[in-house]
Amino acid sequence: MADRKALVVDDEFHIVQVVAIKLKNNGFEVLTTDNGASAYTLAAQHKPDIIITDYQMPVLTGLELIEKLRSDQQTAAIPVIMLTARGFAIEDQQKQKLNIAACLSKPFSPREVLQTVEEVLKQTVHA
Amino acid sequence: MKRVLGLCLLGLALSCAGCIAAATIALPGPILLACGILGLIAAGGLTYSLIHLAVDVHAMTKTLRSEHPILDSVRCSALKPLTAALQECLDKTNKPLLEARREIQDLGLQLQLLRRRKSGIEAILNSIHDAVLVCDDQDRLILANPAAEKLLGFESEKAALKPLKDNLSDNSLADLIIRARSSKVRHVRHELSLNRSGSAAWYDCLLSTVLDDSGQVISVVAVLHDITREKEISQAKNDFVSHVSHELKTPLASINAYAEMLVDGEAQDEAAIRQFCEIIQGQAQRLNRLIEDILNISRIESGLMKVNRQNLSLALIIRDAVEMIQSYAQEKNITLTAPAPILCDQVYADRDMMMQVVVNLLSNAVKYTPAGGSVSVQFEMNDVDGTITVSVTDTGIGIPEQDMDKLFGKFFRVEANKNFAKGTGLGLNLVRQIVETVHNGRVFVRSKQGQGSTFGFVLPIASSKTALIA
Repeated sequence: MADRKALVVDDEFHIVQVVAIKLKNNGFEVLTTDNGASAYTLAAQHKPDIIITDYQMPVLTGLELIEKLRSDQQTAAIPVIMLTARGFAIEDQQKQKLNIAACLSKPFSPREVLQTVEEVLKQTVHA
Repeated sequence: MKRVLGLCLLGLALSCAGCIAAATIALPGPILLACGILGLIAAGGLTYSLIHLAVDVHAMTKTLRSEHPILDSVRCSALKPLTAALQECLDKTNKPLLEARREIQDLGLQLQLLRRRKSGIEAILNSIHDAVLVCDDQDRLILANPAAEKLLGFESEKAALKPLKDNLSDNSLADLIIRARSSKVRHVRHELSLNRSGSAAWYDCLLSTVLDDSGQVISVVAVLHDITREKEISQAKNDFVSHVSHELKTPLASINAYAEMLVDGEAQDEAAIRQFCEIIQGQAQRLNRLIEDILNISRIESGLMKVNRQNLSLALIIRDAVEMIQSYAQEKNITLTAPAPILCDQVYADRDMMMQVVVNLLSNAVKYTPAGGSVSVQFEMNDVDGTITVSVTDTGIGIPEQDMDKLFGKFFRVEANKNFAKGTGLGLNLVRQIVETVHNGRVFVRSKQGQGSTFGFVLPIASSKTALIA
């Protein structure tokens, strides 16, 4: 049984799948969903150690999801990594305000995702 | 004659005296002005008298010469100094009078010129589409053209010499003018958003300060040029680049990620390897379709699309398109029906493009219809106006009313339906470009949210006839 749990959220099935496989192959238990609203429900229910979310998604966008997570005491502390295909980076101010651990641009490397996840979790443990 | 001459001389002497007095006594203010006028009148009278006198003297001299030739030389020599004195006096009085007359003429000409220039400048200012307004050194309005009056909502006559802020509902322009005056910067440019007929409009506001000889600002000229359209185009371009980059990056992200997974040996078995390869292939095809769509739209918009027009049957194209989409419809358990093509009604169109139009409409209909629903194609010919109408009706999720007029826009996707199916927002735009821009037809849509939609197009029947097909 994996001792680390990750939630992967993206409306692109193939993206969710590839990130999930990479994490599973490296010892994570992975939950997946394709929209922000169900991601929040899953996060509240399962309390994952980390969330990897897309920026642009139906129902709730990535930023709206994080805002919702931060406003709930149960989910406020979960570190979040954001994947975005948008041509612009998320402003530092917003990143700080929402406590976004890292932003990765699409196209991304699954290796890089895994490495970032490990680093963020390490920082979280030490914090 | 002697008496007449005597009287003339007396009159002349008196006139001269008056004239010299008027010319030599200097008096201040209005008295001087009155004296001047009197002097001018006196000079006028004097000139008149002198001219007459000179004529008379000349006539008398002539008479004396002819009547009394002996006395002539004596008399003439006696009159010579008088004639010379008269001539001198005449020259002296004539000169200022001529100068005054010339000055009056000059002033009249200058006034005429100024009037002409003023009306010319007014005509130019009034013809300028940009709003132009001028404020004095106390930020009071001193001039505005009709475009400025219309934009800022005041009447120049009522607003003149009142503080600018009293005349404007929005203080942003007044603040910029005040700031320009205080800074004394020669020219400064700002982008300004103003309310125009209830909607925000953007203006390029160029402020220029007018300085006097001592370097003090005496007025500020503001010229407001409407750049709303340029802003919209720029925004649309940015949105387009942003959308394209997002749409291209999504399949590219999958290709990149799965290729790396294969390289890293993350596929656990043969089946996984095969699945990863298929995903890479599928995403590459998706990327290619997307690029083709974008290029086709771009080619049509720029008029560079090669169009191979021919007389062809829409009924046959519909039949082929239905065949192509049928398996997708069956996968989703959707009934797809189309009338059997009996009459081959001709349109003069590009076959591949028309095929793309029908396929896009059919695949959209299937995509946005829940399982168990139906999609049907109708085909209607109107002999009266010489058109063919093709419509695709579904029992799908429908479209909210507020989105109806944006449906054929580039990259537009109905927010409420995004969750239902994936799409790029390019398919319907391509349909419109092909039907309307390339084939002079018309697209249409009818929909009710939750009850389904009908998308279609109308094309003119080709001039050549309908033909029976097997």
